[in-house]
Amino acid sequence: MRKQTFSGILGVLAALVIGGVVLALQKFNPFSTYGALLQYSLLSASGLSAMLSRAVPLVLTGLSASIAFGSGLNNLGQPGQLVIGALGATVVGLFVPLPAVALIPVCIAAAMVGGMLWSGLAAGLRRAFAMDEFIVTLMLNFIADYFALWAITYPLFDPAALSPMTRPIRTYAWLSEVGGINASVLYMVVATVLCWLLMSKGVSGYEWRIMGQNRLFARIGGCRVDAHYVRVMLVTGALAGLAGGLMVMGGPHRFVKGLGANYAWDGVMIAVVANNSIPGTFFYGLLFSMLQQGAIGMELVTAVPSEFIDVLQAIIVLVVVAGRVSLNLMFDRIATRKKLRESLQ
Amino acid sequence: MNSVLIDLQHISKVFPPATVALSDVSVSFRSGEIHALVGENGAGKTTLMKVLYGLERRDRGDILLRGTHVDFRNPREAIAAGIGMVHQEILLIPEYTIWQNVVLGAEPVHALGALDIRTARERVARKIDEFQFNLDPDAPVGSISVAARQKVEILKLLYRDVSVLILDEPTAVLAPQEVGQLFLELQHLRDKGHTIIFISHRLDEVLGLSDQVTVMRRGKAVATSPASRLTKEELARQMVGRSVVFAAERSPAEPGEPVLVAQGLTVRTTDGRDALDQVSLQVRSGEILGVAGVEGNGQFELVNAIMGLSTIAAGSLFVQGIDLSHADILTRRRFISFVPQDRGRMGASLPASILENAIMTHHILDRSFRRWRGLALNYRRAIALTRQIQHQFDVSMENAAAPFQSLSGGNQQKVILGRELLLEAPLVLMDQPTRGLDVGSTEYVHGLLLDLRNRKKAVLLVSADLDEVFTVADRIIVMSRGQLVADLRTEETTREEVGYYMLGGKDAVHAQADI
Amino acid sequence: MSVFYGLYSAMLVGATPILLAAIGGAFTYYAGIFNIAMEGMMLVGAFCAVLGSFFLHSWILGIVCSIAGALVMAGIFVLFAVRLHTDEFLTGIALNLFAVGLTTFLLRDIFHVKGAFTDPRIVAIPAVTVPFLGQIPVVGRLVSGYNAIIYVALAVTVVAAYVIFRTSFGLRLRAAGYNAACLNSSGVQTPAIRVWSLMLCAICCGLAGAYLSLGSVRLFAENMSAGRGWISLAAVILVSGNPWGVGIISLLFGFFDGLTVFLQGSAIPTQFTAMIPYVATLVSLYFYSVRKRKA
Repeated sequence: MRKQTFSGILGVLAALVIGGVVLALQKFNPFSTYGALLQYSLLSASGLSAMLSRAVPLVLTGLSASIAFGSGLNNLGQPGQLVIGALGATVVGLFVPLPAVALIPVCIAAAMVGGMLWSGLAAGLRRAFAMDEFIVTLMLNFIADYFALWAITYPLFDPAALSPMTRPIRTYAWLSEVGGINASVLYMVVATVLCWLLMSKGVSGYEWRIMGQNRLFARIGGCRVDAHYVRVMLVTGALAGLAGGLMVMGGPHRFVKGLGANYAWDGVMIAVVANNSIPGTFFYGLLFSMLQQGAIGMELVTAVPSEFIDVLQAIIVLVVVAGRVSLNLMFDRIATRKKLRESLQ
Repeated sequence: MNSVLIDLQHISKVFPPATVALSDVSVSFRSGEIHALVGENGAGKTTLMKVLYGLERRDRGDILLRGTHVDFRNPREAIAAGIGMVHQEILLIPEYTIWQNVVLGAEPVHALGALDIRTARERVARKIDEFQFNLDPDAPVGSISVAARQKVEILKLLYRDVSVLILDEPTAVLAPQEVGQLFLELQHLRDKGHTIIFISHRLDEVLGLSDQVTVMRRGKAVATSPASRLTKEELARQMVGRSVVFAAERSPAEPGEPVLVAQGLTVRTTDGRDALDQVSLQVRSGEILGVAGVEGNGQFELVNAIMGLSTIAAGSLFVQGIDLSHADILTRRRFISFVPQDRGRMGASLPASILENAIMTHHILDRSFRRWRGLALNYRRAIALTRQIQHQFDVSMENAAAPFQSLSGGNQQKVILGRELLLEAPLVLMDQPTRGLDVGSTEYVHGLLLDLRNRKKAVLLVSADLDEVFTVADRIIVMSRGQLVADLRTEETTREEVGYYMLGGKDAVHAQADI
Repeated sequence: MSVFYGLYSAMLVGATPILLAAIGGAFTYYAGIFNIAMEGMMLVGAFCAVLGSFFLHSWILGIVCSIAGALVMAGIFVLFAVRLHTDEFLTGIALNLFAVGLTTFLLRDIFHVKGAFTDPRIVAIPAVTVPFLGQIPVVGRLVSGYNAIIYVALAVTVVAAYVIFRTSFGLRLRAAGYNAACLNSSGVQTPAIRVWSLMLCAICCGLAGAYLSLGSVRLFAENMSAGRGWISLAAVILVSGNPWGVGIISLLFGFFDGLTVFLQGSAIPTQFTAMIPYVATLVSLYFYSVRKRKA
């Protein structure tokens, strides 16, 4: 665990240095660029608030991917599950006449059910026909995208709008700001804590983790791996769906074309750097949202295009993941040399 | 006396992070001799040979071939220098034919890199004739017997014109009669001028076949001496470092009621073959039933059928009178303690902690492992069980939270044994429980097995090691081609008789004459 | 009749990038690498093709740049997955992300546009008229007048089948996938074979990328590979890497892709027709899985 944190910090720093070199090669000043990044995210009140809101889908899809990968499932369908979840929350928010106390929970439930529907579809295809969820969830992402685009272009289209989007959802379903911070952040924190409890204290978390490490052993040990498979798919789908719902309810309050497109692979990316750890997912989610939020300000004050952040994120992923492996190798080599000396004395 | 061909000097090797596999080992091999390398599992025999062959890097030491320093970075360089190795686990590609396997890596080619199939087949066929191996070059390796595969491995080296052959435990997978045949072939090769290095831990074989014997113990070379000057007892003492009792004391069995009753168990493979064909057997309480057979003759399928890992096409399975024929695995686990053959694949999760491995199955069957309406794990209870296993089964470990893979093989097996035996199920199913363990741990496991018998458990022991079966089992059944071909009482049978059935009862007269 | 020709050529256009990438994937599949980086290699290839064609005024140099770009991606894959022993799946995912990030960044940085870049100075890959055969009435329209890369793709398929099944390299390549330890012990360095397979994969994906940006159109758009790398991965898995099987299944996907273009302007909303290739992938996965389970 400590080794993990250490290699993570080292990796991020190394990636920032590589990014700095890239910037310098393009004749940008890396220090002022990184300074602007910080200035417009962590170091200003409005930046911080926006950064936290932006972290919601990142952390939630990251949790979804972390739990799936940690349990040995290749659920790569977070983008699709997010879109269908957002669509679910939107439909309920548009058409269900309920008071605020009831509408928000119902909208959130609808978002989670939407995500579960989409991941459950993949789970069902796997259980019924042995179709590998790896390809199925990927393909369902594209299908979800086009389906949502159709829904907001035709049946749910707002006639007053110029581009495909729905009408705003009922104001009762809007998530309010508490002390400048959107309430969706609160839901994200609660979800993270629940996931952590589930994975580190729960019986299910134990069995899922063992299943992810060695499915056959879990099966021989009496764990019901087939039922767990479906459960993990549903839980991770619900998390991604929740991300979509909170994005609609906390942000533009309607389903706009391209919603979720920027978050397509971020969840998977965050789970990968965090090595499927729940606290790790939370912190990397915040880190990436900081970079993405800061990028907007960075583009304003320096000439560096905000797309630089996409490159930087990918470098972080590669360096942290490879660093974890090579650091372990290095520790081993040191131990080997010590042992060799001892054994010959 | 022949000249020194290979000289290993002061070789040391540490496996990360801290396993000393070889510590200052020096051995010389002379040309034209059969040189046995003996020692317990984990003594470093295989590692030493892998270092010579370029598969492992040594951390210290020198290798001299005909007096000059060599340093093989990979097997290709070793082969080019005339040294070849046959590994313990047979490394062939079942999808390829014999000739494809043999030429792989040294293929004759036309222009444009096209395989010269005709030349390749001819060369392989010529080698087969030269050494009288009686193999069909076009047969897919997946369809031939284990003994034939081993010949293909040797052929592969002869095709590359090596003069030194290293064979790692070549007899482990063979029936006694096949061992005799192999030894004749090896002696034939030596007489043609080849040098053979032969790794084994079976003392009778070593004394019968080799000219020189080097004993290894805990990563060190203990002694090298001519085989003619050694006795089995002396060799065993050098190997283990103390005197060894060969026959464990076994009181006569007093079996009680039948615990496991299987009738006509049949398991069909996807291509419609019966991997397990109408097997019926009974194990009674207070009895150890040994399952012998050349590996791959249905033993694994039998274990899987009993555990519910494969569905049975026909037959029935009862434990203590309860029908488990089609029960799910969890139901079976209430009645069966199971120690599988492959620790890392079936018996444990290597990256998980010792504790997480120790509580598997207990956490489902024993309610006290759960809290908060069964949602949360009771870690206090989990720690208590881990400690109990540690003390009762003498596991040397520091921290229950350490990864399972940081334990030595023997300690890993003890944790698994502890976990399974503390389930206190009436039937104990063990599949190769001592594979890869040193003599001390093996004796420990055998003691446990006899203790289980005294505590009136029913024990089904699957083992490819005939010595083990004869040491502990009260009855021996033999499997061949998925069928149960013999059911014998240990006192009334011999290794030769069991070997006869292991080979399916065929060619037995002929094969016995070879020994 | 013109409907038939339209669909036929749309099929070839749709099939070509998938075929090329899948042939590349077949090499790594046989070598035992879980390579999911085709998508990223193709995307970088497509970008570099436009880069080369625009600045060097030559479609041939565009293709060269495209292959070079994909090779750089393969080099990163080798560095991480083969040299540093990072998980292949993770490396592939990170590489795909890197490709998206890098191309959008460079699109902005070099061409100063967001979304897509097109310019008359980009030289497209020309169509080829097949001599003699092209003169024959019906056959001529079927075999002649298509983009040069389409013919290259056909040749690549034949060469791949030859290399994989007939050469000593192929014997070693397949051995690397079946049992790497066996190949090592036979005196062949498995990592070297894997590196070669990745290089071959990159060349194929580079060609596929060049076709995307310089073949059917003359522009680069963000994320223009649009999941084709994933579909080609599915194609490779569905036929266990066999190049002939890859050819047939790519034509099938190409057909559905062509159908998408073809159905535009019909009564069916474009969003649904655009789903067709992905649904087709799921349907073929269904048949594959059911057949495999029965076997």
